[in-house]
Amino acid sequence: MSTFNMEFIVKDLMNTFPNKILDYKFDGARSVFVSVDTGVLHDVIRYLKDRYYLKHITTITGTDLGDSIELIYHLSPLDRRVLVNVKVRISRDNPHIPSIVPLLPGAVLYEREVHDLLGVIFDGHPSLERLILPDDWPEGVYPLRKDYKVEVR
Amino acid sequence: MSYYQVPIGPQHPAIKEAFQFNFILDGEVIVDVKPRLGFVHRGIEKGMELRTWVQGIFLAERICGICNVPHTTCYCLAVEKLYDVDVPERAKYLRIIINELNRIHSHLLWIGVLGMELGFHTLFMYVWRDREKVMDLVEMISGNRVTPSMNCIGGVVYDITPEMIPIIKRNLDNLEERTKYYKSVLEEDPSIRARTVDVGVLSTDKALDLCAVGPTARASNVKSDVRFDDPYTLYDEIDFNLITYDTCDVWGRAMVRVDETLESISVVRQALDKMRPGPINVKVKRIPPVGEATARVEAPRGELLHYVKSDGKETPYRAKMRTPTLANIPSLCEMLKGYHIADIPAIVASIDPCYCCTERVMFIDPDKGKKWIWSYDELRNYSRKYYGVGV
Amino acid sequence: MPSILAWSRIRSPWILYMCTGACNACDIEVLAALAPKYDVERFGILLKGSPRHADVLVVTGAVSRQVAPRLKRIYEQMPDPKFVIAAGTCATSGGVYWGCYNILGGIDKVIPVTMYVPGCPVRPEAVIDAVAKLIAKLKSG
Repeated sequence: MSTFNMEFIVKDLMNTFPNKILDYKFDGARSVFVSVDTGVLHDVIRYLKDRYYLKHITTITGTDLGDSIELIYHLSPLDRRVLVNVKVRISRDNPHIPSIVPLLPGAVLYEREVHDLLGVIFDGHPSLERLILPDDWPEGVYPLRKDYKVEVR
Repeated sequence: MSYYQVPIGPQHPAIKEAFQFNFILDGEVIVDVKPRLGFVHRGIEKGMELRTWVQGIFLAERICGICNVPHTTCYCLAVEKLYDVDVPERAKYLRIIINELNRIHSHLLWIGVLGMELGFHTLFMYVWRDREKVMDLVEMISGNRVTPSMNCIGGVVYDITPEMIPIIKRNLDNLEERTKYYKSVLEEDPSIRARTVDVGVLSTDKALDLCAVGPTARASNVKSDVRFDDPYTLYDEIDFNLITYDTCDVWGRAMVRVDETLESISVVRQALDKMRPGPINVKVKRIPPVGEATARVEAPRGELLHYVKSDGKETPYRAKMRTPTLANIPSLCEMLKGYHIADIPAIVASIDPCYCCTERVMFIDPDKGKKWIWSYDELRNYSRKYYGVGV
Repeated sequence: MPSILAWSRIRSPWILYMCTGACNACDIEVLAALAPKYDVERFGILLKGSPRHADVLVVTGAVSRQVAPRLKRIYEQMPDPKFVIAAGTCATSGGVYWGCYNILGGIDKVIPVTMYVPGCPVRPEAVIDAVAKLIAKLKSG
């Protein structure tokens, strides 16, 4: 199995999607964070999947940044040797983003989890239902948002 | 014609590890499976944001009591990346030893649970008796049988003294002999083979598409193990094998775990021999610099990921954990289709799940396109009326 | 007649075990109490599958919101006299999960508790000690 060169992947992305790769930062020896423009997320993931076989999605992390919601898609290739973390930002008041389940079927539960805990709507997801919050949890209350305060007893 | 969705709940005598899946059945055969998770959801990711970085280690340890050591290791590795600090060599070997002891205990526990699910309680009793040796070793090193709390940010807190090493090696020799015996039981016993061979098959392509991890994937011939792919601590200096089987069934998953136990015993021995005297931790500042980091670790159940983000405060801005069982749920739903209700305990146990749940009944009428859920009271009243007992 | 029933309960209390949203460490320690090293079965203690058969309910875990009504229902299904052992620090008071939004706290918020056994996780010897103390309490009336 080949060992992917992360600098090569980042430079290739910057050439293929000019002006859409906003930032990148290496995280240790085998991981990199790449911030991309939200409009090209699907194309970037498809490109990484077809060209570098980044078919394994480890998870999707959602973070409430106050003025926007940041989503990080943690991808790795078939031999899992590197971790490419693709970051996008979406609006907090209207958090819609196309689902990547048609590209990566393994993401089905991760998108449900982010929807449940942060209220992000993944358009095109086959069954965007509640995953882990209890049934009597009030609608519209998203625990991982920063305005949800936990009472500490 | 209506299909029935049947719950399997915690009070069912055949199931020891509780969960909620809605099985859509056509007679005895499973047609589809829909997961409904979250009954052990505790809100830990939000809880991490209220705790300091050090307190977070203890909460991370209690995400899962069985594989608590990989959780603390992964969290500490991620936070150490934020600090950009390298732990001493002895600490790395100690981390390897405690992680592998945890893997041995978890896999032996699983073999016992498999015995229970198949109705082979004798196997459960035998294996759990032998598992006690590992618990005694962990207690000798750290003072606690199950949760050693050995990791800290910057290294480890307990050391293995030279007097402990012959005791550890003696116990490992004994364990190796017993594990080889259990391997022969799994390979040769006709009842176990009848219940596990060609049951719960997950093809290699499906395992890759649905992103399965851990022994579930390795039994479907997927060569992935974080200890080889993305070595952490000093796994690249230890000589051991990546175990895969190509049978893709419950038996394959059992064999992968048994063989991994034998490999782990060899890893602990090598780490004990290679370890040199030295410090076991480094001091770090109370608050890490601004930044974000990920870390991956091979837990007994598969690939574990921790992501932490610091904004320069005492508490993390965001801490995210992805446990391996969640990654295996889509594969589990796939491998249940087409098998009988009686195979459910064995197949569900084969991914080594780690949570508990409750029950509900949902009816689906595909001809009319309707679905309706009954509450527990409605179901109870219906069963009373049906059996003529009176509401 | 009542004295025969009391005598049989004291000789051999049957246990029902329930997990209410915990990390599983206490669960495996309670199961280890049944395994050969600690072996509670020599005291006549059997693990049963149904609340209708049980005298003692052993509960672990800090109660999560989804499980709370089920715990109450299981308790109501048990026949009198019944006893509840809260095994572990989480079952006693919520334990390490303070500040987690889906947790109610100790199980005494939902059902009355006879005995608290601390520990994180609870040791199998402590569980056996708890049941032995319970039997002694029953014998003395």
